[in-house]
Amino acid sequence: MLTVAGLGPAALAARLRGPGLRLQTGPFVTCVHSPLAGLAGTLGAMYADYPVLAEGSVADFHVRLSRSTGLRRFVRPQVHFHYDGMAPFQPLPLDQAFPMFEWAMNWCVSSQANSWLLIHAAVVEKGGVAAILPAPPGSGKSTLCAALVNRGWRLLSDELTMVRLGDGNIDPLPRPVSLKNASIGIIRDYAPAAAFTRPVADTVKGTVAHMRASSDSVARAAEAAAPAWIVFPQWQAGAAATLVPVPQARAHMRVAENAFNYSLLGEAGFDAVARLVETARTFDFRYSVLDDAIAVFEQLLAQRA
Amino acid sequence: MRSPPIWRLVPGQRLVHRCHDGECVLFNDLTGDTHLLDESALALLEALRQAPQSAADLAGLDGLPDSDPTLLAELDDLLADLAALSLVDAAAGGQPC
Repeated sequence: MLTVAGLGPAALAARLRGPGLRLQTGPFVTCVHSPLAGLAGTLGAMYADYPVLAEGSVADFHVRLSRSTGLRRFVRPQVHFHYDGMAPFQPLPLDQAFPMFEWAMNWCVSSQANSWLLIHAAVVEKGGVAAILPAPPGSGKSTLCAALVNRGWRLLSDELTMVRLGDGNIDPLPRPVSLKNASIGIIRDYAPAAAFTRPVADTVKGTVAHMRASSDSVARAAEAAAPAWIVFPQWQAGAAATLVPVPQARAHMRVAENAFNYSLLGEAGFDAVARLVETARTFDFRYSVLDDAIAVFEQLLAQRA
Repeated sequence: MRSPPIWRLVPGQRLVHRCHDGECVLFNDLTGDTHLLDESALALLEALRQAPQSAADLAGLDGLPDSDPTLLAELDDLLADLAALSLVDAAAGGQPC
C-alpha cells in the first residue's frame, strides 16, 4: 500500500500540483489539489502514514487550496479553499493554509457524510470500546483527547464521531488533533515525543497547532469500535476529576444538540441517538489534571472488564 | 354557552419515543423536532391517540373529579404547551374536524 511517506516529498508535491493527491482518511478518499509548497510540506509530515490511492481513483471529495492571484500574491497573500469548484469559505492568510485544510476536511465530512450520525465530538478507543467526548470549544475536549491518545488510547477522531446508522458502532476517522492556545504547550509538555505542526497565530480560533495521529490509529482506521461511554468534559482549574451521570433522556437531547445532521436524518437520527444513549453510559466530567482524568477513563474501562 | 375544546393528537403523529426514569424523548415526525417530556405528558398524548377528548375527560382518566379546578388549569397549561409543539390541536366543542 502506497502511503504519503512512501510517495516522497517531490512526488507528493507533483501530485498536489498536478492530478491531485488521492488521500484516504478513514472511509473517505479526498482528492487534494494545491500548488502551495508549504502546505505540501506540512501535509507530508502530518499524513505520512496515510494511504494514497492511484491517480484516477474515485474520490469522495475534491478540494483545492490555492494562493491569491493579482496583487494579493504580494500584499498579505491569502489561501483560498475550493470544493468542487465552489468557494464555501472566505480566504485566510497564507500561513493558515494547513489549518484551513484541516477545517475544510472536517467540513467536507460534516456537510456530506449523511450515511452516519455525525457528532461534533472527539472519540477514543481501548479494548474495543469507545469513549465519545462531545463538547463545545473551550471545554478541553481536544486537550483531553490528545492526552488519552498519548497514554494508550486509540484515536478514532478528534472532531467527528461517525456513528453507523445500521449497527450503532463507530467508524474511525483519525486525522491530526487540533490544539489551540494554551493546550499546545500543555500537550507538548505532556507528550514530548509527539509530532506537531508549527503553531499558527491569529486564526479565528486563536493560535492553532496540530498533533499527528499515531501510526497505529492510522493503520487501524478500518477497525470500528462499540460505544461504551459518552463523556461531556469540562476543564476547570483546581477541579478534582469527577464523573456525574447524566439521565438518559437528557443525554439524548445533549447528544442531538452536538450532532451535525441529527435533524437532517429525521427518525433515523432519533433512533441512532436513542440506541447510543441506551448502549453507552453518559457522564458530565470535570477535571483539571490530565493524569487524574486518564485514571478515571482507565477506571471506567476496568469496570467493564 | 360554548363547549369546552376537544383535544386530539395532530393527525399523522406517531409518537415515536423512548422513556427512561420518568423522562421521555419524543420524535415529532411532523416537524422533525425532538422534545423532552415527562411521563405524564406522554401519557396524555397516548390518551389522545386513543380518542379526542376534552380536558375534563382527560382529568377523569385518573379517577380524579373532573371539576377539580387546579387539575383542569394544569391540564389546560400542559395541552397548550403540547399544542405549541404541534403535537395536539383543539376544536371548539363537538368533534374536531
